[in-house]
Amino acid sequence: MARPSPVRLVIALSVAAALAIFLLYVSVAGGTPSIQPSQLHGRRGEVALVGKVTGSPAGDAHSDGLRFRIRDVSGATSVPVVYTGSVPDLFKVGREVRVEGKLRNGLFVAKKDSLRTKCPSKYTTKKST
Amino acid sequence: MTAVALAVGAVLACACALFVALPFLREPDPAEDRLDEPGALEKRALELAEEKDRALAALKELEFDHRTGKISDEDYRELIGPLRLRVAEALRALEPQAESTEERVRATS
Amino acid sequence: MPELGRAALVVCLGLALYALLVGGYAAATRKRRLARSAQNALFAAVASTVVATIVLLAALLRHDFSFAYVAEHTSRRLPTPYTISAFWGGQEGSLLLWLLILTGLSALAVVLARRAAGDLIAWVVPVLGLVATFFAFMLVAVSSPFATQAAPADGAGLNPSLQNPYMMIHPPCLYLGYVGLTIPFAFAMGALLARRTDELWIVATRRWTLVAWTALGVGQLLGAHWAYVEVGWGGYYAWDPVENAALMPWLAATAFLHSVMIQEKRGMLKVWNVLLVVLAFCLALFGTFLTRSGVVSSIHSFTQSPLGAWFLGFICLIAIGSLALILNRLPILRSKTRMESLVSREATFLYNNLLLVALCLTILWGVIFPILSEAVRGEQITVSGPYYNFFLRIFGLPLLLLMGIGPLVAWRRASLRSLGRSFAWPAAIGLAVGIVLLLLGAGSSWIGLLAYTFSAFVLGSIGYEFVRGTRARHALTGGPWLAAFSELVARNRRRYGGYIVHAAIVLLAIGVAGSSAYDKVRERTLSPGQTMAIGSYGLTYRELVRRQGANATEFRALLDVRKDGNRVGTLASGKNSYPAEQQTSNEVGIRSDYLTGEDLFVITDQINPNGTIAFKVLVKPLVNLIWLAGVVFLIGSLVALWPSAVEQRRLADRYRELRALAGA
Repeated sequence: MARPSPVRLVIALSVAAALAIFLLYVSVAGGTPSIQPSQLHGRRGEVALVGKVTGSPAGDAHSDGLRFRIRDVSGATSVPVVYTGSVPDLFKVGREVRVEGKLRNGLFVAKKDSLRTKCPSKYTTKKST
Repeated sequence: MTAVALAVGAVLACACALFVALPFLREPDPAEDRLDEPGALEKRALELAEEKDRALAALKELEFDHRTGKISDEDYRELIGPLRLRVAEALRALEPQAESTEERVRATS
Repeated sequence: MPELGRAALVVCLGLALYALLVGGYAAATRKRRLARSAQNALFAAVASTVVATIVLLAALLRHDFSFAYVAEHTSRRLPTPYTISAFWGGQEGSLLLWLLILTGLSALAVVLARRAAGDLIAWVVPVLGLVATFFAFMLVAVSSPFATQAAPADGAGLNPSLQNPYMMIHPPCLYLGYVGLTIPFAFAMGALLARRTDELWIVATRRWTLVAWTALGVGQLLGAHWAYVEVGWGGYYAWDPVENAALMPWLAATAFLHSVMIQEKRGMLKVWNVLLVVLAFCLALFGTFLTRSGVVSSIHSFTQSPLGAWFLGFICLIAIGSLALILNRLPILRSKTRMESLVSREATFLYNNLLLVALCLTILWGVIFPILSEAVRGEQITVSGPYYNFFLRIFGLPLLLLMGIGPLVAWRRASLRSLGRSFAWPAAIGLAVGIVLLLLGAGSSWIGLLAYTFSAFVLGSIGYEFVRGTRARHALTGGPWLAAFSELVARNRRRYGGYIVHAAIVLLAIGVAGSSAYDKVRERTLSPGQTMAIGSYGLTYRELVRRQGANATEFRALLDVRKDGNRVGTLASGKNSYPAEQQTSNEVGIRSDYLTGEDLFVITDQINPNGTIAFKVLVKPLVNLIWLAGVVFLIGSLVALWPSAVEQRRLADRYRELRALAGA
């Protein structure tokens, strides 16, 4: 008796269901694009700004806001940033950071507590310090 | 330092080479050099042995599940018959294999 | 001395190549002595790797800065335990550790299994040799720990975030897990190469898979505890690609552990099992690759190095090669048995597998999506918490529920009648707990409430299993209840060990739900003498103290803690400053309440020049259940792993009979 196995049916239905949920989610939520200051011009909406800290950071992230600039990893275009929230210990000028937020009137207003630094690699070869 | 290092390295390399060659040094001229591998007969026997173990385990599990109350009396009565049959078949399937192989071995020796 | 290290690695590479090439030839042409010789090459590889290990270890302990590796990862002031852990603190050293564990486990696996089946081992050896060849080649040609330089006065020191006891155990534990998955993979491939369709490869590697899986699980919990206590942002898992790198193979291995039970009981799913073990191994390699290259940026991020390309190439080779082999052997793998009912234990195991693999693949997608989006659209779209948490809930909550349903269902077919009766108690417990919690206010997070309710159901179901089993045993033998209980567990180690592991996962789920769905956060800037309140706690900032440690200056803010108005103790929270590495680290203050499992978590965000300090305080309910779960997990695994004399004898009999049949 060649009865089709229920196993295959279950697998197929599950895969289809999973796919449906997945696509639904991805179309609704989506991720955040990571861009550098040179790509920021004219962007609306929330983005994640990636780059190196430059300029002299001033202000207090726990009251009015820490103000600093972020520039391209390998370039000179920079943009001013104002940030409130926790500042990672590794934050300093020259460190590569990532912060989420929106560009408003030329100033990048960061989302609270979204500042992250890239750990100096423990696997870097000596040359690239 | 370098001389010591190289010496130790050389000793290591030689020891490893020796160890790798060991089977050939131990048996320079063996009677047979073939790797045992199950022929079709043994593979079939292995399959049957696994089926036997599986049937026996299923029987044990059924008893256990019944005793702990996971399977009701009615379900137990329904399932025990076919399962015991399966075990009997598996045991029976193994017997003729043993007999015919033994006969064959006896015939050749 | 570095020459000895380099030489030892070259010897190891040669031996691994021999095991691969000669071993493969010997297995194909069925030459016994040659196959044995290839085995010996694998054993000898252990010796040469050990020599290389000793050379590096000695150099580290001697502070021999002419070794570039030693200079990069240690300093004179570094405490000795951390100097030892620097062995695996860098890329080259961690590869050497991988090779050491790989050769050691390979040799052990071959020795333990070779009596059972010579022809299987003959094919397993070249597969192990292939993996060893890759790592040995990396160490010899691409990433050598024995590069030399003019010795500087002092080394660069170990990254401060790595200077804690976790560094001693978390990486080796994870490596044991990653490398351990090589063994079932090699045996599976060996069985396919030998054209075997029986379950010898599963029987031979069952304990190996369990050990590797346990090591991965414990390693991840250690990593989570490390993140919680040392990195100190208030959480324990950030869905970092490197954290996911360990989770994915663990999920695949979990699925594998369950589906092999189906193959054992019913002889089904042979193809699925082989695919799973290949997936688990490839994910283990991928995990190693993720933590070694800078392909996906993360908090643990590592820089681009040529290693990445090699790793990717090797993973592709393994994946394509395995799939080709499976495809080729597909006809002999097809089983004749069919699943009888959608309501049977096999079916629940199948659903569990589907959910685990689905979760694993969605995490994988989340990890590689940023790389793909960058390649396709030129900008990296990062995927973070919300994405992962969504899928964790979608797949995790049903998985939780299944853990409770599975044990209640019998194999093959369960009538709805007996099912209903089995379900009664656990379902009642689950529902009762759910209602009580709802009344207590847990409705603030319906996901948390659902998690709690399901957890109660699962614990009820597991408890019910133990009670039923003990009662049945007691009815059989009489005697004291405790004896009946221990006999029950001893005679069914895998089943009840498995139940204990499930209980551990439930504890984990409760801990995670409590600390993420019902936590509180408060941020305040305090000057000395000021108080802040959070939940039922009151914190008063007293003073800032400064202490000079071995290689760091330690700043600690002391706070008085009051709970419900009563003084319960003092907390110290602050930062460490490391002059050699020019970094500061967060040193959080945690007060654990062991009665409620709750943690009071204080982070010193910023020490201001005017004497005030910006604090961030969190209350995390039930978080300590997560660590407790780790202990229970380990116990359950040990119970399941423990060899049973009865089973050993049965298996030995089975294979002895066959050798007798073969006339050997």
